[in-house]
Amino acid sequence: MRKKNRIAFVGFLAATALVLTGCSAGTATESPSSGAPSEAGGPVMGGDLVIARGPDALTMDSTSAQFENFSMSVFQQMGQSLFSPTPDGQELVPLLATGFTVSDDGLTYTIPLRDDVTFSDGQKMTSKDVKFSIDQDTATADTGWGFVNAAIDKVNIVDDYTIDVVLKYPWAPIIADLSMFSNAIVQDNYGGKTKEQYYEAPVMTGPFMWGEWKKGQYLKLVKNPTYWEAGKPYLDSVSWNVVPDANTRKLQLQGGQIDINDTPDWSSFASLKESPGVEVYAFPSTQIDYVSMNEDREPFADVHVRRAIAYAIDRDALVEAVLFGNGEPANSMLSPGTPFYDKDAQGPTYDVAKAKEELALSSKPNGFSTTLLIRSGNANQAATSQIIQDELKEIGITVEIVQLDPTANKKARQAMEYDMAFSAWTMDIPDPDQWTTFALDPKGGAHSAFTNYNNPEVIALNNQAQRESDLTKRADLYKQIQKLTGEDAFLAYLYYSPYAFASTDKVKGFEVTPLGNYHTENIYKTK
Amino acid sequence: MLHRLSFIPGRLLQAIPVVFGVTLLVFFMAHLLPGDPALAILGDKATEDRIVALRTQLGLDKPLLVQYGLFLSNIARGNLGDSLTYQVPVSSLVLEAVPVTLSLVFFALILGLLIGIPLSGIAAVKPNRPADLGVRAYTLVGQGMPQFWVGIMLILFFSLKLRLFPVGGYGQTAADHLYYLFLPALTLAIALSPTLIRSLRSSTINVLGSEYVATARSKGSGGVALFRQHVLRNAIIPTVSIMGVNLGYLVGGSIVIEKVFALPGLGSLMLNAIFSRDFPTIQGVTLFVALFVVVVGILTDVVYTLLDPRVNFSSKERE
Repeated sequence: MRKKNRIAFVGFLAATALVLTGCSAGTATESPSSGAPSEAGGPVMGGDLVIARGPDALTMDSTSAQFENFSMSVFQQMGQSLFSPTPDGQELVPLLATGFTVSDDGLTYTIPLRDDVTFSDGQKMTSKDVKFSIDQDTATADTGWGFVNAAIDKVNIVDDYTIDVVLKYPWAPIIADLSMFSNAIVQDNYGGKTKEQYYEAPVMTGPFMWGEWKKGQYLKLVKNPTYWEAGKPYLDSVSWNVVPDANTRKLQLQGGQIDINDTPDWSSFASLKESPGVEVYAFPSTQIDYVSMNEDREPFADVHVRRAIAYAIDRDALVEAVLFGNGEPANSMLSPGTPFYDKDAQGPTYDVAKAKEELALSSKPNGFSTTLLIRSGNANQAATSQIIQDELKEIGITVEIVQLDPTANKKARQAMEYDMAFSAWTMDIPDPDQWTTFALDPKGGAHSAFTNYNNPEVIALNNQAQRESDLTKRADLYKQIQKLTGEDAFLAYLYYSPYAFASTDKVKGFEVTPLGNYHTENIYKTK
Repeated sequence: MLHRLSFIPGRLLQAIPVVFGVTLLVFFMAHLLPGDPALAILGDKATEDRIVALRTQLGLDKPLLVQYGLFLSNIARGNLGDSLTYQVPVSSLVLEAVPVTLSLVFFALILGLLIGIPLSGIAAVKPNRPADLGVRAYTLVGQGMPQFWVGIMLILFFSLKLRLFPVGGYGQTAADHLYYLFLPALTLAIALSPTLIRSLRSSTINVLGSEYVATARSKGSGGVALFRQHVLRNAIIPTVSIMGVNLGYLVGGSIVIEKVFALPGLGSLMLNAIFSRDFPTIQGVTLFVALFVVVVGILTDVVYTLLDPRVNFSSKERE
């Protein structure tokens, strides 16, 4: 249809030109397209999938500091790690490994590897490649994502298809860390190339391989013919188009120009739901939205002030007004998609009487004036902040909303130059430690999620959980952490929002895990 | 003829301080913005150590004047530096975006003229009659409608209802580009044409009332031939300078249209660079736009000189 239109349009231009010069035009015809094979009753083979999203990827070097979520979703279709999260994001299963055993002292993890994996250039994957991959990530501890391997002492090759990962100290999240994108398996010594050359067109083990990248326009991956999982992938190629405007993405989906709209805004989510030929998805995520309070500034070091604010917020109303009902009020610092989330955690809920009681107990019983920092141009934050401003006014706290563009906003929070700020977190690994250490340990490198919250009891529990390999005991430690942090109201939790996606109804097998990963090898397109 | 164009080298020399001033202004204004490229790249999960390491890696720990000096010495060697965001040469990003924006702008200009010339002719032949009033109403509406709204309306009608054109994007082949650029160019042309029509209509009315047109008529000339040979050639002279000014304006104003139609042009590149504090890219794009405006200014004068033998910039400059 689209090709026909294009030909008709070019024909129209040509005809106009010919009429203007006094000639007549012939007719244009469409060349017949070839049909793709399909398995009877099963997934359809072939086809090109087009995903539209606002930002472009930044780099394919998964160990570098620039590597972020938009790079990750592309990279993970090429790069694979030893382990992978289950679809519900709660557990880990072997991917390029076949399992693991732990020594009695908890310091040596012996990991056997699959022997049927090849890179996209046909070369077999062996333990040499695996050792090189983990070592090159560890080497970026100061400049990239290598800090996740801080517990690793060394990687030893046992034989062609077995490695030992030796730890400096017992470290429960090690398997989750090995599942990180930065520990994806690359070729030994970058296949003889420099690191920069290698990551310009990575040769990896995943279902798709490098195609073409026009920066700021689109990034295309094509089917890896040597992929080890039999019968997959179904698609010939996957492209990520850069379409910054949310409304344009919505219209492109409705017009059938793209197959998947990555993150439609919630206001257009409902209208897309009603569009014929369009499917919408709200996948459970690990995202928690919250208001952080800077304890370096008065009066937020006072727990009663923080509790008063946390009790004054009507989370159900926010879910309705901001997420159009697509989400859940938050009750814990961990999200339901994160392992060890406690659904019974008693985080502060909406209770104006309690909020007033807490404020009366605080150093500011008659209320005070403060500011709330939000990102300019972010409709969700603008709506949420206005509701919170109104609710806090009811207990005597006057809030001025300060808007800064995203980069300036980050700078203000990093420099601790704010009173209250709106923020959110999503997990990269299926282990709560990534977030708890960032948010609770002032030595975690981020001033406790830029709040300067410092509760020695909570920090001790977090350190204990990092070294506890018994799952029941670990669950209990995280339960205590969720209880204490809720009582301290170190953040005012708001809501858990799902990941919004929309696709045409021809797209099948599309699922997003709570960690935000999707597996394009499972996707196919019907005719 | 050639001596009338001898003003060009002088104009090019004058352009050097203008372009230098623009780079100076943009460099320091961009660095005055709060925020930091390292933070923009690292996102919310950044820790202090990683920010410091990345700032050093990107050369942002050097004093501002040193950074500006490096920028100037790079430009002198024809190097715009590397994008902080993509880690590729800025020149390659600019060279990919320039054809998109220039095609859009020139396509819009052609469509603007295709709309403007016939409508202004119709309006000028019988002033204050229904056809003229209709054209004047169009200029009011065309100028009053916001561009992004016109763009969305055109998408809704031509792309979603009639399914004739794609909803944004740029395509991959030359034929694709023309096809994908039609609606955005039409949007810009609708915004541009009222200015052209107003200028062309009033100058056409003047020319139609002139003695040489009366003479031509008395010799039996009329219709399209009269319009093309005697009226349009004289009436279009003031419009040429208006178009010259508007070309520069169109390049700057294409940011909104590029966003609505997801076009990977200079506007999109600039907008993303500003949000991510990608200083070398901001400077590279600004430098290009400044050069473009200067060159279009000179070309406008050249066209002006060629169309009207009475114009002689060179002699004025020698006085």
